Amino acid sequence: MARTGFCDSKPLLDLHKKVDERRAPLRTWANACGPIDRRQPIADESRMATGKVEPEHRWERRLSMQTSEGIIMGFHEDSRTHTADGCVDEPVLLYPHGLQGLHSLQALVPSLLRHEVEMALEKLNLIWDRTFAWDMFLDMMRTQTWNSLPNTDLPRHFTDATRAVLVDWLIQVHEMMHFQEETLYLAIHLLNRSLRKIQVTTANLQLLGMVCLFLAAKKEECLLPEVSGLCYLMDHTYTKHQLLRMERKVLCGLKFDLSFTSPLHFLLLVASVAHCSAKVVWMARYLLELSLLEGQCVVFQPVQLAGAALCLSRQVLQEPPTPEGEAAWCLAYSIHVGSETVLLRIMQILASAAARAHSRETCATFIKFSGLETMHVSGHPGLKNASSLLGICT
Amino acid sequence: MAHATSIQYEPVAEIGGGAYGTVYKARDTESGQFVALKSVRVQTDQNGLPISTVREVALLKRMEQFDHPNVVRLMDVCATTRSDQETKVTLVFEHVDQDLKTYLEKTPSPGLSPERIKDLMRQLLCGLAFLHSNRVMHRDLKPENILVTSQGQVKLADFGLAKIHSCHMALTPVVVTLWYRPPEVLLQSSYATPVDIWSTGCIFAEMFRRKPLFCGESEVDQLGKIFEVIGLPPEEEWPTDVTLSRTNFPPLMPRPIADFVPEINEQGAQLLMKMLTFDPLKRISALNALEHSYFQDEETLTQKKS
Repeated sequence: MARTGFCDSKPLLDLHKKVDERRAPLRTWANACGPIDRRQPIADESRMATGKVEPEHRWERRLSMQTSEGIIMGFHEDSRTHTADGCVDEPVLLYPHGLQGLHSLQALVPSLLRHEVEMALEKLNLIWDRTFAWDMFLDMMRTQTWNSLPNTDLPRHFTDATRAVLVDWLIQVHEMMHFQEETLYLAIHLLNRSLRKIQVTTANLQLLGMVCLFLAAKKEECLLPEVSGLCYLMDHTYTKHQLLRMERKVLCGLKFDLSFTSPLHFLLLVASVAHCSAKVVWMARYLLELSLLEGQCVVFQPVQLAGAALCLSRQVLQEPPTPEGEAAWCLAYSIHVGSETVLLRIMQILASAAARAHSRETCATFIKFSGLETMHVSGHPGLKNASSLLGICT
Repeated sequence: MAHATSIQYEPVAEIGGGAYGTVYKARDTESGQFVALKSVRVQTDQNGLPISTVREVALLKRMEQFDHPNVVRLMDVCATTRSDQETKVTLVFEHVDQDLKTYLEKTPSPGLSPERIKDLMRQLLCGLAFLHSNRVMHRDLKPENILVTSQGQVKLADFGLAKIHSCHMALTPVVVTLWYRPPEVLLQSSYATPVDIWSTGCIFAEMFRRKPLFCGESEVDQLGKIFEVIGLPPEEEWPTDVTLSRTNFPPLMPRPIADFVPEINEQGAQLLMKMLTFDPLKRISALNALEHSYFQDEETLTQKKS
């Protein structure tokens, strides 16, 4: 593990020693995302239709190459050209299959999905007016494809390990500042792009990270920290003047492009459509945050990361399935974009990250998700051999 | 950094004062293309670039990704420090030689054909619908910032700048034309995207007339000129949060719009009146305007022909 100078500022934010005292409430609207009670006529109709069928055959996963599902396929056109592993991605679609007389239900899936997505966006407070919900969702799907990077290459003198140390430190600063979760994801996204766009010496890496967090806060937060406070957190290694100069450098380097479709939004959206339990959501959020530390994850689209985190979370927790839960999951799963291979690869990366999270130096996320508020998800025994779990399931 | 911008973009001419500072035509020394440079000076405090500037420019950047045909291209953004208190943000736009004002002036008598006007209006509304769907209002729409390329393509310019500049605006009172301002702005009531529709209505009429529809000299005079055409609005439509009272104006009845815009056809007149509606909540939206029969009849006609 490459240790860099800025880890010396750790005593300032010693978050590791007093796990229980330092737990700050995660202030985010998304906390309320538990199972949602929906009594919608369309949903009920579909559940009644599926209720008569044998459970084990009711929903089957399969790859679909069809483009007949106009609504769901709408956004796949863009994503097809994005390849994470060199081959052309085919959309993964799950829909009821293998049953007679289900054509009407199949035809119902797009409108059902649309309805559920609209409900979820509203529930998550992401929209004010439901009329625009679906357009906004399609827009999210389209724009998120711009948020993956073409490769995992870092500038010569940086390694994934250095990057992980920096991200881990930013996660701690972010938590101490009580920022929104989105701010963290945006900050790391800006960092990933800045590292490739502007030249920074190793000595200025910490400054770059802090500026990315500061800019993310300017975009997302209502209350901003003082620049002098940020300099204090960096043990006055840099002056205010240097920080503001770096801010301009980053803004110019990124051409002021700070737009980002957060994987967290997709995670909460899919989880809400899938009626996931609070524990599944917390576990998925933990796994998704771990992805920030993994340099290999920058090539994946936000919606892929979110989907993989939720899939893995469900597999790790192994909650007893219910017919309604499975039906909702299948519907939600159709939001996934990309090949099954990509999905599995991300799940493997996350599983191995989770398996060694407790023993790594970069364990801010592990600690953050170990508390009662997050339902102790990071300490779940299932995570220790999550990789082998994946082996069996595939 | 300051040098980087000035080296890449070599100023050729000053093209306008503009409400928000000088606009330069410049040559991009890398590509040889002409660009329009708009610089905004923003006050920077101890916490660097103001949040509003960061957010607004980021929004312009984000919209740029959609590559809308009726919106001027934002090619580059740079930030340079002038002093500890001031940062200059330079927006580099594509340069289009001609605006609607010169385009109308150059058109020989008897003016634009009804088909040409319809085409220009459709493009204008498409661009506007795009801005509005991205939560951006133009706020200062007028023939000078509607660009028309040599191929006849309409491109909206200067949108979103109003917000970036707003704090600066308060400090430097500038003469901005009132002619395209809607009643709610003139009355200093609250306003939103319908402001742009009013301006579009004024421009629509101007395309036929080749001169502005309402040429007021002050806010009150401008309102008076508006009421001469659309009539004095009923008491219940008058906004309650304004200082100017309705009784300051003579009780005028609306006059037929054909008196002012004689060449307009019936559907066009109908659409125009929906745009020049006093109550912003009742004014037509850009999207609905595009659906109006004024635009549809042409399509159905060509369909019938083929």
